[in-house]
Amino acid sequence: MDRVWDHGGPVTVRELYDELRQTRAIAYTTVMSTMDNLHRKSWLARERDGKAYRYTAVASREEYSARLMREALAEAGDAEAVLSHFVAAMDGGQAEALRAVLDKFTGSTGRLS
Amino acid sequence: MTTALALLGYALLAAWGAPALLAPLTGSGASVRPALAAWLSAMISALASAALGSALIAQTGLADWPTFTRLLCRGVAGTACTPQVYGSALYSGGVAILAILLTLAALVALWRYGRRTHRAVTRTRLHARAALLAGRELAGTGAVVLDDPRPAAYCVAGRPAAIVVTSGALAVLDRPQLAAVLAHERAHLAGRHHLLATLTRGLTAAFPGVPLFTRGAQEVARLAELAADGRAARSSGRHALVAALLAMATGSAVPGAAVPRPGPAVQGALAAAGYAVPARVERLLRPPAPRLAAAVGLLLAVMSCAFLLLPAALAALPHW
Repeated sequence: MDRVWDHGGPVTVRELYDELRQTRAIAYTTVMSTMDNLHRKSWLARERDGKAYRYTAVASREEYSARLMREALAEAGDAEAVLSHFVAAMDGGQAEALRAVLDKFTGSTGRLS
Repeated sequence: MTTALALLGYALLAAWGAPALLAPLTGSGASVRPALAAWLSAMISALASAALGSALIAQTGLADWPTFTRLLCRGVAGTACTPQVYGSALYSGGVAILAILLTLAALVALWRYGRRTHRAVTRTRLHARAALLAGRELAGTGAVVLDDPRPAAYCVAGRPAAIVVTSGALAVLDRPQLAAVLAHERAHLAGRHHLLATLTRGLTAAFPGVPLFTRGAQEVARLAELAADGRAARSSGRHALVAALLAMATGSAVPGAAVPRPGPAVQGALAAAGYAVPARVERLLRPPAPRLAAAVGLLLAVMSCAFLLLPAALAALPHW
């Protein structure tokens, strides 16, 4: 997927295979089946060009990132995907309580400031 | 019949009463694993006895309807139940309608549970796969980076699972803090906390408004955070984790909204306990005393056993 995005325009399996082969040992069929997979999962669109297909990304990396973050940060508490956030967004009351906790500890230990 | 009614009565009692019993013990976060076990045991206990009681009633009712209605009448009303009452068409019809309604309610609950759980599993897997494809690998960590100015880090289960960190989070975290965040997320995945979340959220969807499940889902989520904090603190150090919590929590705040508002006086532990992040910070800075934790843990373990054994004990009791 990275490669297709980096490539910019439409790309054939052969072109991508030639690129990938320079950096690592990879089989042509692996590239082909991966791209076919991504096409079936609607990450890539393809159009016939002679005997081969030319693949393009359906959306840019930025668009996918934005979509994922929308889902991840939709904190109505009712997001359907199960995500474990490190911290939830804090409201004013929460920030205030946090400050109080910190004040209490900085007063006694001085290890955080 | 008494057995079935006792089971159902207990299920209702547990569904509405157990939170009052458990919340004070698990609220402090003194003993995380036993606390998780106790909440889950209470849920299993209530569900098992409700299912067992219903099955017994269904069995009796389907086998011999007239005897069933008579026994039900006696079981509920005792000697006040006369042949005129249980022989009447009104009573018999009422019981039949009630039975149908309860069956429908159970089916609706089951359907809601299934729908919620199914959606959660598909959305979660889809999110993990998309994150792995769209994200950039964060070298040497197994996590992926998504470009977003808002600091966020989360894990999402799937095959394979993904740990996602935003570029905004990387901007506010130093190396040890990032390690603490990643350790926290790995602990979630290793502890299979997503399964607990899926299960408890499904039950909340199935039984909306029932305290054991609504409160239980919140408590299980909160305790899972504490469990992950514990593991991250052990591997990455308390101070790195606290610093990471502060950086992530305050970094996401809009400067204007961070201005303190006059409000009720904040009194340390009590004020913090209602809030997730301050309570976690406080717990990390001042861990619960080991003796207290051990005592609470033991009590919760005993309660878990009691919860799990009660339905079986009630079912095994001779007819009184």
